[in-house]
Amino acid sequence: MTHSSDFNAEKASNLKVIGTRPARPDGVDKVTGRARFGADMNLPGQLVGRILRSPHPHAIIKSIDTSAAEALDGVKAVVTRDDFAENPDNHAVLCNVMAREKALYEGHTVAAVAASTATIARKALKLINVDYEPLPHVTDVDAAMQPDAPVLHDTIFTSGVDPVPTIPSNIVARCEFGHGDVEAGFAKADIIVERELKTAATHQGYIEPHACVASVSTDGMSELWCCTQGHFDDRKICAALLGIDVSRLRVTASEIGGGFGGKTTVFIEPVALALSRKAGRPVKIVMSREEVFKASGPTASTSMRVKIGVTNDGRMTACDGEFRLQGGAFEGSPFDSAAMTAFACYDLENVKSVAFDVVVNRPKGAAYRAPGAPMSVYGVESVVDEVALKIGMDPIEFRLKNAVRDGSQSSYGPKFGPNGLVETLEAAKAHPQYKTPLGPNQGRGIASGFWFNYGGETCSNLNINADGTVTLAVGTPDIGGSRASMCMMAAEELGIPYDSVRATVVDTGALGFNEGSYGSRVTYASGLAIINAAQQAITEMCKRASMMWDIPADAVTWEDGYAKPSGANAGEFEPMSLAEIAAIAANTGGPIAGHREHNADSAGISFGTHIVDTEVDPETGRVDVLRYTVIQDAGKAIHPDYVEGQFQGGAVQGIGWALNEEYIYGDDGKLQNAGFLDYRVPVASDLPMIDTVIVEVPNPGHPYGVRGVGETGIVPPLAAVANSVSAAAGVRLSELPMSPPRVLKAMDDAKQAAE
Amino acid sequence: MRDHGTFLLNGERHEIRDMSPTTTLLNYLREDQKLTGTKEGCAEGDCGACTVVVSELVDGAVQHRAVNACIQFLPMLEGKSVTTVERLRGPGGTLHPCQQALVDTHGSQCGFCTPGFAMSLFAAYEDRQGKGLDRDTANDVLAGNLCRCTGYGPIITAAETMGDLPAPQWGEDRAARELRALEALCHTDTVKVASTDQQFFAPATLGEFAELFAEFPDATIVAGATDVGLWVTKRHMHLKTIIYTGRVQGFAHIAVSDNTLTIGAGATYSDAIQTLAEHFPDLGELVRRIGSTQVRNAGTIGGNIANGSPIGDCPPALIALNATLVLRTGDAQRRIPLEDFFVDYGVQDRKPGEFVEAIEVPLLENPDQFRCYKLTKRFDQDISAVCGCFHVTVDDGQVSSARIAYGGMAATPKRASAVEAALVGKAWTMETCEAALSKFSEDFSPMTDMRASSDYRMRSAQNLLIKYFVEGTEPLSTTRLVGRGSTIAGGANHA
Repeated sequence: MTHSSDFNAEKASNLKVIGTRPARPDGVDKVTGRARFGADMNLPGQLVGRILRSPHPHAIIKSIDTSAAEALDGVKAVVTRDDFAENPDNHAVLCNVMAREKALYEGHTVAAVAASTATIARKALKLINVDYEPLPHVTDVDAAMQPDAPVLHDTIFTSGVDPVPTIPSNIVARCEFGHGDVEAGFAKADIIVERELKTAATHQGYIEPHACVASVSTDGMSELWCCTQGHFDDRKICAALLGIDVSRLRVTASEIGGGFGGKTTVFIEPVALALSRKAGRPVKIVMSREEVFKASGPTASTSMRVKIGVTNDGRMTACDGEFRLQGGAFEGSPFDSAAMTAFACYDLENVKSVAFDVVVNRPKGAAYRAPGAPMSVYGVESVVDEVALKIGMDPIEFRLKNAVRDGSQSSYGPKFGPNGLVETLEAAKAHPQYKTPLGPNQGRGIASGFWFNYGGETCSNLNINADGTVTLAVGTPDIGGSRASMCMMAAEELGIPYDSVRATVVDTGALGFNEGSYGSRVTYASGLAIINAAQQAITEMCKRASMMWDIPADAVTWEDGYAKPSGANAGEFEPMSLAEIAAIAANTGGPIAGHREHNADSAGISFGTHIVDTEVDPETGRVDVLRYTVIQDAGKAIHPDYVEGQFQGGAVQGIGWALNEEYIYGDDGKLQNAGFLDYRVPVASDLPMIDTVIVEVPNPGHPYGVRGVGETGIVPPLAAVANSVSAAAGVRLSELPMSPPRVLKAMDDAKQAAE
Repeated sequence: MRDHGTFLLNGERHEIRDMSPTTTLLNYLREDQKLTGTKEGCAEGDCGACTVVVSELVDGAVQHRAVNACIQFLPMLEGKSVTTVERLRGPGGTLHPCQQALVDTHGSQCGFCTPGFAMSLFAAYEDRQGKGLDRDTANDVLAGNLCRCTGYGPIITAAETMGDLPAPQWGEDRAARELRALEALCHTDTVKVASTDQQFFAPATLGEFAELFAEFPDATIVAGATDVGLWVTKRHMHLKTIIYTGRVQGFAHIAVSDNTLTIGAGATYSDAIQTLAEHFPDLGELVRRIGSTQVRNAGTIGGNIANGSPIGDCPPALIALNATLVLRTGDAQRRIPLEDFFVDYGVQDRKPGEFVEAIEVPLLENPDQFRCYKLTKRFDQDISAVCGCFHVTVDDGQVSSARIAYGGMAATPKRASAVEAALVGKAWTMETCEAALSKFSEDFSPMTDMRASSDYRMRSAQNLLIKYFVEGTEPLSTTRLVGRGSTIAGGANHA
């Protein structure tokens, strides 16, 4: 890492733009409907693409006859598995994008058509004759792990176990993290609590369905417009699946109507390209909401066992967890991060965390905000709550007693550096909500959570325009207000007003490779590239000024937007503004720009603590969220409103996950609630105003101290809400979602057990 | 009869002819007109990303209502004016206060839902003469708009503060022009919009409606299309003949006389809610929780009944209120108790060519004896797992009559006759209620589905009787988490 990326305390305490709350540059376009999202693009001659999906959760595809569809007037192309070559490096994505030997879930793509109208396309789908041989299916993670379960892939032999099994199963892999001796630790415990818990699969629930327009020329030059979190990633995978050079595919990211991790991979994009290549015309595919639920990438459902031992004075002696995650029909559930994050909040002598990646007949999962962590932390924080209750200790005091600090050994390996967990807990203890009296049938829940945050491959450009304004070219789609924060960082470094800087998310032809907008990495990694690019431009501007003044370049410094002579040999010159230097750039060597390419690390771990008060209706089991506070370490908030927006958004998705949202499968292996009518995301009346507290413990790896903030906010709420509802209901809830029927049953069962 | 439809889109006259009459307004906006500011998030009226404002003349004044463009068939807009987000822009490119407030509060993150939120707020702003909304009203106005990024906080703040911003300069002039333009579109001809194999009729009088339905007894009758719209967008049904009731004069009539409330079958929930809340406070609150503002602005009480769904919320309430259904074939009227209309799942007592004309509801001496409970996973904009409605009268401590009806407990909305019998003549006590619980299994054997299990339905249906008893003897607010007592009934129009 360059020296400039390290925390600069003096700089961080003298920031002028960072920490203010300017209006977002994309705000007006969004309220006027001018912002162009995935489905808002149309090209001349464009065809309508539609996808034929498997009605079976598990079936051999014996044959596909497309002749009748192809013969239909208005049909310009039909594609099936035969149009995609085998691709060993991207086998799972390929098979997910277009089924090969088997359909592995209801909704799995089997064929696609491009036609002149939507009506013709729909008719054509009905004319495609697929001969299926249905097979037994399994959708539950525990059932899929049984020895007699229907096996999805005869190529999966569990990795991470010794010896490697000789027969295939649905268990893709086992992983283990931890240190110490948990059995010895439990022997030292005064109290041990062990529980089995479950969470349901949920969907990211972005309001914008996946949409793309693909156009392939006869010479192979290809364009793709799509809503995505990572258009460079899309280019890479689409080029690979279609066998075209990366240089021949240009991908443009539209405005993105929510992603939360779910738009970090491809579904319809390679299909649209294949149809366009075959039809010789542009093809647009837009998913319906039902397709989004059935055939995009929901999150894992989980089952888990968590065991924690404590002494009577509140010290955790051992933690042991087993986490079982299904990631849909292909490998790749976030089982490893579930295991790594589960106990990450605690400074433990003895910890063991095991997780399994399991395949079932469900759509292939995609990332969802801190993938894996909300579920395992739900299990751990539920049991933490229970042990604290058992020894009669305040849940915040208990966490403070065991919390990781600077230098603590993490439960998954590395030593933690400076971090804000203790600060979030102290802030929770001091928050007025924590002292608000509770009424009958009300309960309060606390939970903490952790996320790694990511850096990654990044590349940004900064251009000084002749009129003294500045343009930023960024390769990471703006999913959380990053254009504003990029402009703020550039303005801060250059010493010019925020309004003089504009950022554009540019297409793949305009920058080097950028990983997508995921891992809470954008403000950190793209922002750091912008800061570095600005510093490079400043160096160049100082050089240009020195040329005008005819003094050595190192005799010029940059201060508040001006080049100034400095030092003994500099001489007396009027400072030159950025605009003045820019205006004469043509005469001093041409355009002035800065750029930065890096593989950023030191993203800065982040912890959060949530407080939630709920009330339970004892007659119907309905839960009302009364008050909610998110407290999280942001390192340094660039735009505090957007940081709070991330906190609130994460918390509310977590509330939905905790109380209502779930994928409901019938015995037939089909999804029963593939629509917003029955997949219930929270509406305005479900929520109180979410209060927020931004804690700022600087990230030592960033000049301002920035940490990622996007994901940690969804980690604590499942547990916090569960702890709150359990307190209100007087019985421990151990399965999500805590829908009214489940809460009522738990209360009834507890009543009966007491009688 | 006219062979084309006419409506205003952003102030300009559009004619609809020679196109599929089940073309949705949303597809027309996005595909034909390239007005892509209106978004498609679900195409089933759940997410509100496609919200537009439909204005029409009501008693000589212009009424503005937010609706979901995704489930409005284009010819349903006959004689109305549609405003999309593209038209909110004021003179000189200024933002409407609802838009400016969203910008100022950072009410957009991804921004995909934002045009829909802006239109819902715009309709509320226009309805309330430029006032901001209190939190309860904002919840109501926005219950049909999903946002997944913000947690709604900044959007609620925008709703609360939009009234503090300067009113748009185009206000009065544009309103007067819109009034004149709508007046110019008024006519009483039947409108027919047809394609090669579909036809859509929009009659203007009851007589013509009855005649058309007699001529095409297989026609699909559409009022608000909040259900039929989904037959087209989700199930891709091809509807051959459609008769639209929204223009039929007098069909949305609401009147009280001789201690009877008469609701025309064409009255939308929004049309009826104030009158309902006035006479039956709990029914007002129940209706406020049906769908969302957009759905209530389109959907009708008559449609909720005629549709015959076992989980419609109006039927159990109206059965408990001893409502009479007025059916009509041609000129002939027939009156039946509402409960007799529901014969079996998907089967109603409705002859070919016969339609629901009105519902007659006897008023109550003591409206607070009537209570409704809608159990859902989510409080607003959700389909009932169980809907229980109670009207028990007590004389000298004895139950003199009991009408209890449930939705979601059987294949039809159904009275709990055995439970009622176990109450009548007994002392109105907790013991009597508890003794009646065992009778539920004689009345109901509910199904298990994704909304609730059979056990939950049965258990909560029983609990609702207990809740009804407790609420009759204790102050309301201590026993209700939310609902009447904490939120004013009155829905979209309460100011």
